[in-house]
Amino acid sequence: MNSPKRILLAKMGLDCHDTGIITVAQQLRENGFEVIYLGLHNSAQQVIKAAMEEDVDLVGVSFLSGQHMAQMCNLLEAMREAGMRLPVICGGVIPDDDAAELRGMGVAEVIRPGCLTADILRIVSSALEMRRE
Amino acid sequence: MTETVRDSEQQVFETNSGIPVEELYDAHALQGFDPERDLGAPGEFPFTRGPYAGMYRRRIWTRRFQVGFGSPQESNERIRYLYENGANGFVITIDLPTSYGFDSDDPIAEGEVGVTGVTLSTLEDMSALYEGFGPDRVSYALSIRPPVSSVTLAMLACVAEDKGVPFKDVIGTQQNDPFYQMSGGPLQTITQFFPLDGTLRLCIDNIEFISKHMPRLNWMVTNGYNLRETGVNAVEDGAFTLAHAFDIFRMARARGLDVNEFPRRASFFLSASMDFFEEIAKFRAMRRLYARTMRDELGATDPACLRLRFSVQTAGNTLTTQQPEVNIVRAGIEAMAAVFGGAQSIHLCSYDEGHGLPTEESSRIALRTQQVVAYETGVTRTIDPLAGSYYVEHLTNRLEQAIQTKIREIDQMGGMASAIRDGWLEQQINAARYRNQRELDSGRRTLVGVNRFTIPASEEKPVRVHRIRADEWGARRGDYLRNYRMHRDADRWNAGLSRVEEGWKANENMVPVIMNALRCQATMGEIHEAMRRAQGWRFR
Repeated sequence: MNSPKRILLAKMGLDCHDTGIITVAQQLRENGFEVIYLGLHNSAQQVIKAAMEEDVDLVGVSFLSGQHMAQMCNLLEAMREAGMRLPVICGGVIPDDDAAELRGMGVAEVIRPGCLTADILRIVSSALEMRRE
Repeated sequence: MTETVRDSEQQVFETNSGIPVEELYDAHALQGFDPERDLGAPGEFPFTRGPYAGMYRRRIWTRRFQVGFGSPQESNERIRYLYENGANGFVITIDLPTSYGFDSDDPIAEGEVGVTGVTLSTLEDMSALYEGFGPDRVSYALSIRPPVSSVTLAMLACVAEDKGVPFKDVIGTQQNDPFYQMSGGPLQTITQFFPLDGTLRLCIDNIEFISKHMPRLNWMVTNGYNLRETGVNAVEDGAFTLAHAFDIFRMARARGLDVNEFPRRASFFLSASMDFFEEIAKFRAMRRLYARTMRDELGATDPACLRLRFSVQTAGNTLTTQQPEVNIVRAGIEAMAAVFGGAQSIHLCSYDEGHGLPTEESSRIALRTQQVVAYETGVTRTIDPLAGSYYVEHLTNRLEQAIQTKIREIDQMGGMASAIRDGWLEQQINAARYRNQRELDSGRRTLVGVNRFTIPASEEKPVRVHRIRADEWGARRGDYLRNYRMHRDADRWNAGLSRVEEGWKANENMVPVIMNALRCQATMGEIHEAMRRAQGWRFR
């Protein structure tokens, strides 16, 4: 058996809708992942610092109130500058067009509302395979 | 269609909050039930049948328009358009930076300015929102909480003065919920940027100011809606909402305010969720429990202080991203529950909320849905039509007992503020979140289009959503504020902010102190910073 995969989850910006991400954290924990949840209101720099310190395999962030494009641009740019190539999953209320654009920007997967645990696990496994490709 | 599953095998005979439901209810279910004591007449104690005599026969519930995006000028344009078309009540949503007391040009606001609501950083901004009419003619319900609601209340008072509107004629609502206004679990949202005790003090300052000077202005202490949206059930919803309100009332009473005065303009914002009869019973039970507690425990005698009035929004968390048009039906059924529950004002979620911010089209469908309920179905013809139903009265009794029991539990922890501070509420919320997800995963609970009756993703139609222009709004507001700061009198500004610190330390009511600071052209963010300084508190 490999050691359990480590996942960093965080909310960014001022959005405080955290039901989705806290539920996902629990779903992942119950299925053998080690999850570090950073809570609300993180900056890109805070997310990256925690990802390094915690030596995670994947970063997941989530948005509900329309700030996903601005925040994801910041995060991906800052990760590039830091030379960090971890796969990133973006969850939340993400319009169709934006989901496509986010994937184009290098986001590994987009998780939208209405996923069952099996869906989440499938998406996370697929994103983990993208590591360092 | 291939749905030949024997539905009876899948049913769970209990309500969403776990109250068992029998096959049949008859007179035995109502043993000990005394209609005179437990129902009363509409508009009379214990208000089970409704807060007002006549109810919808006299006046259909208010269908408020939700407005608020970008700059105050853009929001005002939209409001004036709607006003000229006959609307005079508006829910004003506020953007996230303002909701946390930050100016639009604060670095923390990047990408958020004007997105979820209007941005308000200066007194000029509030004046712009009232361009064309005074606060005695249009009613704005500001979705805002302390500490920020102390600043928006002060802005409103200044606008009234400037327009020559006496305070006693000012109408509208300041949400003013110190705990539940921000979505999600409350613990971090209410402690990260401002001290909790300071927030509570400002909440009571606002109640004091409003009850002394603005008798027609509502202050809505409890946003049960956002709390319910985290996933808690109807019993928890009722208990966390009421326990919180009673807590605040006790604090106001401790400030020396009269329990027969200040609760007059208190109201509630509640969710109507999907479990139809349980939600109806929840509303009726909450009204009765409120009346009994206000009378027996808080000592109120004036009927206006015993009746619970509430506005409703249908439950956003019952909507699906998949097959989104089905959400129109969900919101319609939830609105019916609100009507049978006796709501004073109703807002329906738009069907596209799982995809993004609602469009004009989806908002219109939401409004039309409640117009169908109001004007086509006939449900408004008689008051509280479900009263006396064996099932509904039984369920109302059960809900009241269960909510009461939970309130006692919270009281024993020292009230809601303590329950939040020590993380208990957060645990309750998280337990509910996991429970809901497990029920969907296991199929114990059906969510049409998600865990049953699904279609392949390829058959889902694309959904058009409201486009936001956060970059543009942020840049324009940055220019505006730079200019605003450049052209003010630095000495006056400095003096205004020093007064804020002094007033805070001297335990003055902060509303007039903040009015002065706003007149000295201090901004939302600067006033918050001064209040934090006065408490010797910083977050960055």
